[in-house]
Amino acid sequence: MTRTRAPRELRTIGLIGSLAFAFPGLYLIWRNFTSGADPLGLLFDTQTLEPFWRTVRLAVLVSASAAALGTALAWCTTRTDLSFRRLWRVILPIPLVFPTFIGAAAFIRTLNPGGLANDVLGAIGINETPELRGLLGAWLVLTLFCYPYVYLPVAARLRQLPGSFEQSALILGDTAAQAFRRVVLRQISGSLTAGTLLVFLYTISDFGAVQLMRYDTLTRAIESNYLARPPMAFALSLILLIFAGLVVLAERAVNRRLPEVTSRRISQPVIYALGRWKAAATLLVGGTLLFGVIAPSAALIDWAADGLLRTQRGGRPLTINFSKVVEAATNTLTSSVITGLVALLAVAPIAFLVGRYRDRIGHVAHSIVIATFAVPGILIALSLRFWTLKSGFFGDLLYNSMALLIFAYVVRFGSLAMGTALVAVKTVPDGLHDAASTLGADRWRRFRSVDLPVMRPGLLAAAGLVILSTMKELPISLIIAPIGFPTLTTRIFGSFEDAFVAEAGIMAVVLVCASALLSWFLVLRRADHL
Amino acid sequence: MLKRLLPLLITMTFVAAACGGSEQLQIDGLAAEINPEECVDGSGKEVTIYSGRTENLIEPVLEAFACATGVSVQVRWGSSTQLALLIDEEGKRTAADVFLSRSPGPVGFLESKDLLGTIDDSVLNLVGEENRSAEGSWIGFSGRKRVLVRNVDMVSDADLPTSVFDLTADKWRGKVAIPGTNGSFVDWFTVFRDQYGTDVAAQWLNDMVDNDARYYPNNRSIVEATGRGEIEMGLVNHYYNYQEVAASGDEHRARNHDLDDDDIGSLLIITAATVLDSSKNSEAANDLLAFLLTEPVQSYFTNRTFEYPLAAGVEPNPALPALTALEIGSVDFDALGGGFEETARIIEASGIQNQ
Repeated sequence: MTRTRAPRELRTIGLIGSLAFAFPGLYLIWRNFTSGADPLGLLFDTQTLEPFWRTVRLAVLVSASAAALGTALAWCTTRTDLSFRRLWRVILPIPLVFPTFIGAAAFIRTLNPGGLANDVLGAIGINETPELRGLLGAWLVLTLFCYPYVYLPVAARLRQLPGSFEQSALILGDTAAQAFRRVVLRQISGSLTAGTLLVFLYTISDFGAVQLMRYDTLTRAIESNYLARPPMAFALSLILLIFAGLVVLAERAVNRRLPEVTSRRISQPVIYALGRWKAAATLLVGGTLLFGVIAPSAALIDWAADGLLRTQRGGRPLTINFSKVVEAATNTLTSSVITGLVALLAVAPIAFLVGRYRDRIGHVAHSIVIATFAVPGILIALSLRFWTLKSGFFGDLLYNSMALLIFAYVVRFGSLAMGTALVAVKTVPDGLHDAASTLGADRWRRFRSVDLPVMRPGLLAAAGLVILSTMKELPISLIIAPIGFPTLTTRIFGSFEDAFVAEAGIMAVVLVCASALLSWFLVLRRADHL
Repeated sequence: MLKRLLPLLITMTFVAAACGGSEQLQIDGLAAEINPEECVDGSGKEVTIYSGRTENLIEPVLEAFACATGVSVQVRWGSSTQLALLIDEEGKRTAADVFLSRSPGPVGFLESKDLLGTIDDSVLNLVGEENRSAEGSWIGFSGRKRVLVRNVDMVSDADLPTSVFDLTADKWRGKVAIPGTNGSFVDWFTVFRDQYGTDVAAQWLNDMVDNDARYYPNNRSIVEATGRGEIEMGLVNHYYNYQEVAASGDEHRARNHDLDDDDIGSLLIITAATVLDSSKNSEAANDLLAFLLTEPVQSYFTNRTFEYPLAAGVEPNPALPALTALEIGSVDFDALGGGFEETARIIEASGIQNQ
C-alpha cells in the first residue's frame, strides 16, 4: 500500500475550499466580537442550558432512530427479495424534499385531532388519536424526514459491497443476523456514521419542525432573538456551531477506530429470501412510506384539490397560474441540479485529500464543511451577504447573481456530499490504482478509468442528497437569490404564510413530483449498475 | 454522468430564459381591478422593494403601480424579520428603496439602527397621525386587529369573554392558545406594557402560563388548530380566519370573536411601509407609498384581503367588525423602557414557549 503526499494543486484547492466553507463560521465569530455578545456567560445561564439540553436530547433520539430506520430500509430494499424493490427505492428518498415548515404542518393537519386521518379512523370506529407535539412529535417528524440521510448512502454502499465475506460467514454457520452484525455492519460503518452525523447536525439546526411541534430548542431561542436581542442570537448560534464542531470531531475519532473497507464488488451481493419475515419487512417499508410520504402528501393534495374545486365553484380565485408554477419549478430544478454538481466538484478534492492522502489540510477542511451544516440557513445567507459586501468589486460582481446563489447552496449543503464522497474515495482499492500507474496511465486517465467508475454510485447518492435538500431550501432562496427568481419553496412559503393553503399545496405537490422524478433519474437509474 | 445531464441543463436554462422575456406591460386580474387604465410607457425610473408582505396579497398592487406610473418595480419577497436583518447587514449599500413590513417590530429594529429615511410630508399626511411615525420614518398602510378566535362547536357564544384579563380565569384553564414568540404577538405585548405598565402585562402573561395557556408558534397554526378542534380558542390577528374561511368555507369550524372595544385584546396592528435612508430612488419610493394609500388600493386591501383600510376615506369591508379600538401607531417605541429587548426578556422568562 502506498501513501504518497498529496499533490500541491490538490492541497491548494482544498485550502481554498475550506476557506469558502468557513465563511459562516468566521462571520459568526466576527459578529460575536462586534456586537458585544457573551457566549461564555450564556453557557452558564439556565435559560440557555435548558433549550440546549433539549436540543441535544432530541438530536440523540432522532439520530438513533433515523440510523436504525435508514439502515433497515436500505437493507430490505437492496439485499432481500422484497416485492416492488425498485419502486420503493424511488419513493424512499422523497421525505428529504419536504420543507419541514410545511411537512410538519401537513403531518399535524393529517394526524392530529380533527385531521384527515381522524376522519378515516373515525369511519372504522377509532375516535381518539394522540396529539403530536413536544419531544414525541418532533422526534417522529424529524425521524421520518431525516432517515434518507442514512438510507441513501447506506443503500448505495450495500449495493456495492462484495458478497464474498458475507457468504463465507454464512457458510461457516452464521445466521443472517450474525452475518449482518459481524460483516455487513462493519462494511457499511463509514456510510452509516457519516449519514447519522448529518441527521444529528440537521436536527440541531432545524427550526420548522421543532417550532410547529412546540418543542423549545436552541434554534427557537435564536430565531426569536434576531431582532430583539441580536447579540444573544449570535452568541447562541456560535454555541450551536462549536457544539457541532465537537460532534464532528467525535465522529472522526469513532470512525478512525472502525475497520476500513477498501473493496469493491467482485461477486454479486447476497440476496436473502425473507420468507416468513416478508410481511414484517413490507410493513416496515410500507409504514415508513405511509407516515413519511403518503400522510403529508395527502394533506398537500387535499389543500390543492380544495383550491381547484373552489375555483370551479366560483369561490376565491387562485393567486397562481400555470406559468408561475412552471417558472418556479424550472428555477428550482435548474438551481438544485447545478448545486448538486458543483457541490460534488467542491467536496471531491477534500474527499481525496482525506481519503487517499490523509492530508492535514484535508482533515481540517472536512470538519469545517460538515460542521457548517449545523448553521441555520438564514445565518449562512446573511454571512455571504456580509462577505460579498466586504469584498468590494468582486462582491459587486457576484451580487444578485445565480453564481452567488449556487455558492450559498453549496456552502449550506456541501456537507451532505462530503461523507458519502469520502466513503466513495476510500472504496477505490489502492492495488487497482497502483496497477494502473504501473501500466503507465497518467493521473487524469487513472481518475477517469479507475476512480470514477468505482465511485459513481456513492457520488450519485451524494449529489442526490444535495439536490433534494436544495430543492426545499428556504432562507437562502429568499435572501440570496437574484431578485425575481422565485422557486417552488419561496412560493410555498409566501402562500402558506398568509394561509393561502391551496396555492401552497399545489406548489408542494409539484415539488414532491419533481423530486420523485429526480430521485428516479439520479438515485435509482444511474446508481443501479456499476 | 455529466454528459448525460448537460443537455438537460441546457434545455432548462433556455426554458428559463424564454420565460423571463419582457414586453409591453400588460396586467390582468386583481391588478387590473386596481388600475383599469391602459398602462403608461416606462418612465425609466425604478424602485426596489424588500417585501415582508407576501406576493399573494401585494403583487397585484405592485403590478398596478408599475402599470399606472411606468416605474419599473423589483421585489425581494421574504419574512419581515429576515429582510430587516438583511437590510441591517447591507447597511448603506442595500439595494432596497422601500421596505414593507407585516408588523411594526422589524421597522422599529431598522429605526434603532438609523437606516430609515424621512418620508415626504405630502405622503405622511395621507394617513392619520396615529398611523405614522412622529419622525416621519414610517407609515401604516393597512391594519390587522387582534381578536380571540374560537371553535364554534366547543365554545358557545354565551360563554365568550370580553377581555384578555378574563382568560386567566379557571374556566379557561388549558383552553387558550398564545403565539408567544410570534412577531405580531411580541408587538402587541410591547403595547400592552406601554398601556398598562410592565408589571401588569408581565403578571398577565405569567397568569396565563399558570392557567396552562398553550403555546403555538404563530397565528396561522392557532387558527388552523382551532378550526380542527385541537384547541378551544386563541389570541391572533383577525385576518387569518377570513383567509381560512375563504379557502375552506364551513368545513373550517373557527370564527373570530371581538373582545371589548377598549380592551387591549382588540388592538389594531398596522402593516408598515418605509423608505430607506440610502435610497437613490426616493422619488419613486415616495410615489409608491402614496399609491399604497390611494382609494383603489385601500379598497383592495379591505375587500380582497380582509384588512382594515387606513386612508383615502375608504370604509372597512362590512364583513369586518367595526373599528374603534386602540391603534398601535400611537405608541412611541423609543419611549418604552428597553422596548422590544425587555419584551423579549419578559416573554422568555414567563416560560410560555414550553407550554
